[in-house]
Amino acid sequence: MTRKNHLLEGIPASPGIVMGPAHVLTQEGQVSTRLLYTDQEVAEELKRFNRAVDQTEEELARLRQEIADDLRDHAHILELHLLILRDRMLLLETQKLIREQNYNAERALYQAFLKIKEVFQRIGDKHIRGRIQDVEAVYHRLLGHLTGRGNSKTFEFSEPMIIVARDLSPTETTQMSNTEVLGFITERGGKTSHTAIIAHSLEIPAVVGLDNATLEIESGDEVIINGLTGRVIVNPDEAMRRSYQVRKEEFETFKGEVAQGSSLAAVTSDGYANRVLANIEMPEEVSLAQKYGADGVGLYRTEFLYLRQRQLPTEEDLFQDYYKVVEAMAPREVTIRTLDIGGDKFLSPLEYAPEMNPALGLRAIRFCLREQKIFRTQVKAILRASAFGKVRVMFPLVSSPRELHEARLLLESVKGELARENIPFDPQLPVGAMIEVPAAVTLADLLTQEADFFSIGTNDLIQYALAIDRSNKSVADMYEPLHPAVMRMVRQVVQVSRKAGIRVAMCGEMAGDPLYIPVLLGLGVDELSMNPTSIPVVKKVIRMTSLSEARRIARQALDLPTVEEVNEYVSSEMDHRFPDIFRFGRPLATNRVS
Amino acid sequence: MTRQEPNLWTVEKELWVENRLGLHARPAAKIATAAQQFDADIILEKDSQEVNARDLLDVLALDCPQGTRLVLRTRGPQAREAARFITSLFARKFEEI
Repeated sequence: MTRKNHLLEGIPASPGIVMGPAHVLTQEGQVSTRLLYTDQEVAEELKRFNRAVDQTEEELARLRQEIADDLRDHAHILELHLLILRDRMLLLETQKLIREQNYNAERALYQAFLKIKEVFQRIGDKHIRGRIQDVEAVYHRLLGHLTGRGNSKTFEFSEPMIIVARDLSPTETTQMSNTEVLGFITERGGKTSHTAIIAHSLEIPAVVGLDNATLEIESGDEVIINGLTGRVIVNPDEAMRRSYQVRKEEFETFKGEVAQGSSLAAVTSDGYANRVLANIEMPEEVSLAQKYGADGVGLYRTEFLYLRQRQLPTEEDLFQDYYKVVEAMAPREVTIRTLDIGGDKFLSPLEYAPEMNPALGLRAIRFCLREQKIFRTQVKAILRASAFGKVRVMFPLVSSPRELHEARLLLESVKGELARENIPFDPQLPVGAMIEVPAAVTLADLLTQEADFFSIGTNDLIQYALAIDRSNKSVADMYEPLHPAVMRMVRQVVQVSRKAGIRVAMCGEMAGDPLYIPVLLGLGVDELSMNPTSIPVVKKVIRMTSLSEARRIARQALDLPTVEEVNEYVSSEMDHRFPDIFRFGRPLATNRVS
Repeated sequence: MTRQEPNLWTVEKELWVENRLGLHARPAAKIATAAQQFDADIILEKDSQEVNARDLLDVLALDCPQGTRLVLRTRGPQAREAARFITSLFARKFEEI
């Protein structure tokens, strides 16, 4: 069966390039709906279906034989299943649908099964109605043979395959993780879908959100997946194969270099050292940070413990988690961000009613200064953990020097308490302010008086500076990290920090995107904190860049008046200078799931 | 299996479902299995709804709990043997209680 090649486009969800035979999963609810056009196709489909019935029957009969005599009940069930398999409602109905409706076998079988289900739903007797379970079991077993996989070993293929499906459930992907899957293509899902997560962890390419994938691709088709671009080629010709082979090798080489260099320092080609840190959310992620070569933790989000349970976590709960992270990362630094949510998320709805506009509401440092008891508990746990490694603390959403001052006062008061109780802590614990409100940028010079470092949270800063809600589809494309307003804000923060002699970190998504790295280096950001998986690529980008070159790019970009021009300039500059970073590095770092 | 004129049945008799769980999976399977062994048309009727006794799912779908009255009709070369055997299954309550 050689069909003409065709090109499909979906959402790139896991980087990599792979070619192999497709296996289209057709399951209940995700049955392919191919129509048969010729009598010959119908005849072949009937033959295929009957063969599957025979195979299922053989399997059931063999299982029946193998059953020991003392398992009579089980034997009865298999006998029942043999009867169901040959039952008119299932067998004849499916054959009829193939013949008369031109359905493919999977679809016809599914329809027949649905019809039986309907009939059974009308049965009054509960025991009898419940026998639909047996019909369902037979349906699945038969479907398994039809789609070319056995029933008990659901996903075992004779050769490595590319899985094509409407969508993949966790159960399905778990069963697959033991066999060799080359890649995933699904009709549903986005970059954060379950399929994307699994593909990332298996380090295989995936393209999701590809409409009609199970129609456009048939089992046995030769398929190329480009998980970097989202492109899928079905039955490529010789020239396409060759060009993809070349691209694949280039990518593998790049990836290999990236992985090898993950533990190297992030030093530019002209000797300027930057720090590349990890964003984490729970202690379990420390191993990821270490695996990918993090120079420390630049953002430890602490909301998880507050959201996990109904009641507030105790100081001991918090300490245990912080201790684990700090101790495991030592001697590397861990930057703990204090609670960054509003009370409505975990306190009684009577006290904190849902807000009209939570992004502008009572959250983060504002909430903590209002609820000092909750805040003190957290600060105490952080201070206690600071005795076991290198800890920094930072306060989110600071918008005035007064807030930072109050938070510091509270911190000092908790230190006094610990000292009186003879509990060890780091008295020099560095305190940072997160810069994510435009007011904090404007007042950054004043904030330096009480801050030991800054960390620019670009996600919020961009949202507030440009008044763009990224989750609002009608304006999401106006969310622009390289907006001149954003770049000027970063420059301003860096300038006042230089004057005050404090470091500037960045911990938003922007910091983990290779495209922006030279600009950020050029602007003078000292530390970049990101999703752990982005670290190796970002380090490689830094090593490939020289600071003088980065400064030149940043200067040029700052001179451009519109974001369109900046984007155009930075993209072409990157494409020109670092084609590999553009083609491979960016998808590798940013197609991530966070 | 083509059915002929309904008035040409060899055997036509009344049966009662007496076992506690009614015609659930196992009794229905016994009926269907038995029916498939005989060279005969074997029909079960409940409230003027007819099914072929060979079709397990149809027998199940007839929805016959304990106490249901059924009419058994058979015809063909082994009509009497088939009727006798099916009747005995009902009489022995399918070897259940």
